[in-house]
Amino acid sequence: MSVTSRPAHYGFAEHWLPRLVLAPSFLLVLVFLYGFIAWNGALSFTASRLLPNYEWVGLAQYEALFASERWWVAVHNLFIFGVLFIGGAMAVGIVLAILLDQKIRLEGALRTIYLYPLALSFIVTGTAWGWMLNPGLGLEKLMHDWGYAGFSFDWLVNPDRSIYTIVIAGIWQSSGFVMALFLAGLRGIDDSIIKAAQIDGASLPRIYWRIILPAMRPVFFSTLMILAHIAIKSFDLVMALTGGGPGFSSDLPATFMYQMAFTRGQMGLGAASAMMMLVTVSAVVVPYLYSELRRSRHV
Amino acid sequence: MGALAIKNVTKRFGDTHILKGIDIHVDSGEFLILVGPSGCGKSTLMNIIAGLESPSGGEVHIADRIVNDVAPKDRDIAMVFQSYALYPTMNVRQNIAFGLETRGVPKKEQDEVIARVAKMLQMDHLLDRKPGQLSGGQRQRVAMGRALARNPKLFLFDEPLSNLDAKLRVEMRTEIKQLHHRLKTTIVYVTHDQIEAMTLGDKIAVMKDGVIQQFGSPQQIYDTPANLFVAGFIGSPSMNFIPAHLASEGGVIGVSLQSGDAACFAPLLDSQRYAAYVGKRVIVGVRPEQWDLAADGGGLACKINLTEPTGPDTIVFTQINGIEVQARLHPRDARSPGSVLHLRPDMSKAVLFDPETEIRIG
Ligand SMILES: Nc1ncnc2c1ncn2[C@@H]1O[C@H](COP(=O)(O)OP(=O)(O)OP(=O)(O)O)[C@@H](O)[C@H]1O
Ligand SMILES: [Mg+2]
Repeated sequence: MSVTSRPAHYGFAEHWLPRLVLAPSFLLVLVFLYGFIAWNGALSFTASRLLPNYEWVGLAQYEALFASERWWVAVHNLFIFGVLFIGGAMAVGIVLAILLDQKIRLEGALRTIYLYPLALSFIVTGTAWGWMLNPGLGLEKLMHDWGYAGFSFDWLVNPDRSIYTIVIAGIWQSSGFVMALFLAGLRGIDDSIIKAAQIDGASLPRIYWRIILPAMRPVFFSTLMILAHIAIKSFDLVMALTGGGPGFSSDLPATFMYQMAFTRGQMGLGAASAMMMLVTVSAVVVPYLYSELRRSRHV
Repeated sequence: MGALAIKNVTKRFGDTHILKGIDIHVDSGEFLILVGPSGCGKSTLMNIIAGLESPSGGEVHIADRIVNDVAPKDRDIAMVFQSYALYPTMNVRQNIAFGLETRGVPKKEQDEVIARVAKMLQMDHLLDRKPGQLSGGQRQRVAMGRALARNPKLFLFDEPLSNLDAKLRVEMRTEIKQLHHRLKTTIVYVTHDQIEAMTLGDKIAVMKDGVIQQFGSPQQIYDTPANLFVAGFIGSPSMNFIPAHLASEGGVIGVSLQSGDAACFAPLLDSQRYAAYVGKRVIVGVRPEQWDLAADGGGLACKINLTEPTGPDTIVFTQINGIEVQARLHPRDARSPGSVLHLRPDMSKAVLFDPETEIRIG
């Protein structure tokens, strides 16, 4: 073998250089990601309030968390938001992709238009939708000005409805991205498969439902993963659109955590809620990573 | 009875004319080959027959019924695609059953059909596999099975063998031919392989640039090609096109051939039909196998430039009237390069073309 006959210093450089190059970023990740996760974990077992302290209280913060009505509102909201946002963005994105896949004119322009919201930050999206949905400024006022005095759309300020405004803005922002992913997948389907199905007598909806969408499984799963983690860590959209209000009716776990840890001086409680989010994200991501890594090793 | 009739069909994509007035008539049970170089519009014509694309003009009749406005599924056809077009997420059984299911065939009947098809194509052991787990040849078989699942009036094959390796291609060719003998269903078969065209077809339509150059039986097309393109396209090695002057010597019309210092006059059979061309330049088409060794020392003394033994024959390369000519000889008659052979063309089979119009004369 040629490896054994190489000079010793060559082997040394080859051995150490990659490690040396990777070391700084590795160190940074270790400290600022895993280090702080561990620190956060530690804080969640303390009685920290405005500032961190190390008075151990065991699981008391978790007990307080689970007894907090506001936390359960946030969890409930996350459930509503997650299901509707993922389902809605996926459905709208797939429908747009299928429509765009019909070889229509101006496809390039339309694709850009639909993809454009992705270029905006959630803050901008949230602010813009905040104006549009604000009863005194946006849609409702417009309809009143046009003479439809009975029109009312007050979801933004209605505690029972406010979470749905976040869903609407989230879907608007993300469905273009879902569309782009699916469109790329649809373009990979051989044209003659569709022709064969037409000769077999299948209608267009049936062709999509039975043949094309099942072939989109990998795209479907990647999209689901991306949307799920956007949903769980959603923070900026809520802050810009409703600020968690009215009251705390549209809180999500991320805004709950921020409120507790940084504005209400309940750092221990905030840390405990952050740990709960970490567990949730891991429950989604770890099985996915596991299956992906296993597949790439087998290929 | 007419199984398929195509009447003056044209197709435009925007301003480009892809098909320029196609006329084809196929009788029931016939095997029609559409052959032509890449991009000449074969698949487009096939898609028009299948109803996947609508013609810009003209009529398509299937089983004596005009089908221009009939959907593909109601045309009673089955099609095999070049890329096989198997449904990727379904296993072989589901692939075959899909069309039956769409047509509302009861489950029990579906199973019978699948069993029949699997037996016919010897693929029982593949039924539970997905297309991704099959080899090219097996996929091809499944694609055929899917077409055979119904008993259509018309089979359409769009280059079904072009993705297979040479050996498998020959095997499948034979199988398709046997299948046709057994089923006696009308088949339209697209290929750009002239050997497939000759071996499979009852009728051949040679296409180029959206125009049918010639439509006839394989033998007609081989013996009396309509123009230079057809003559050069069909047959391998291809026909020799020798430029020559048509001359009259003592009342006999013929052409003079020259190779190096040697020259000879080759009289034509039935030569009066060429009378109008005497004194003009023509192109003489002589196929490689239409050269014989002139044992008597007559014919044309040709110097051999190169030989290519193929096993049963040896192809001999020489120079006649300034162009390279190939002659297919028995290996026993061939000589090594550099030596001289006396060759004589079989002028009874030779065909003449007008160099201007490239159309066969006489
Ligand atoms: N949808 C389309 N729009 C514009 N031009 C097209 C379209 N479909 C086919 N063409 C053109 O029509 C011509 C004929 O295409 P076709 O697929 O029929 O060729 P073919 O004879 O089947 O060739 P091959 O042997 O390579 O399959 C090509 O030049 C192609 O570029
Ligand atoms: Mg083609």
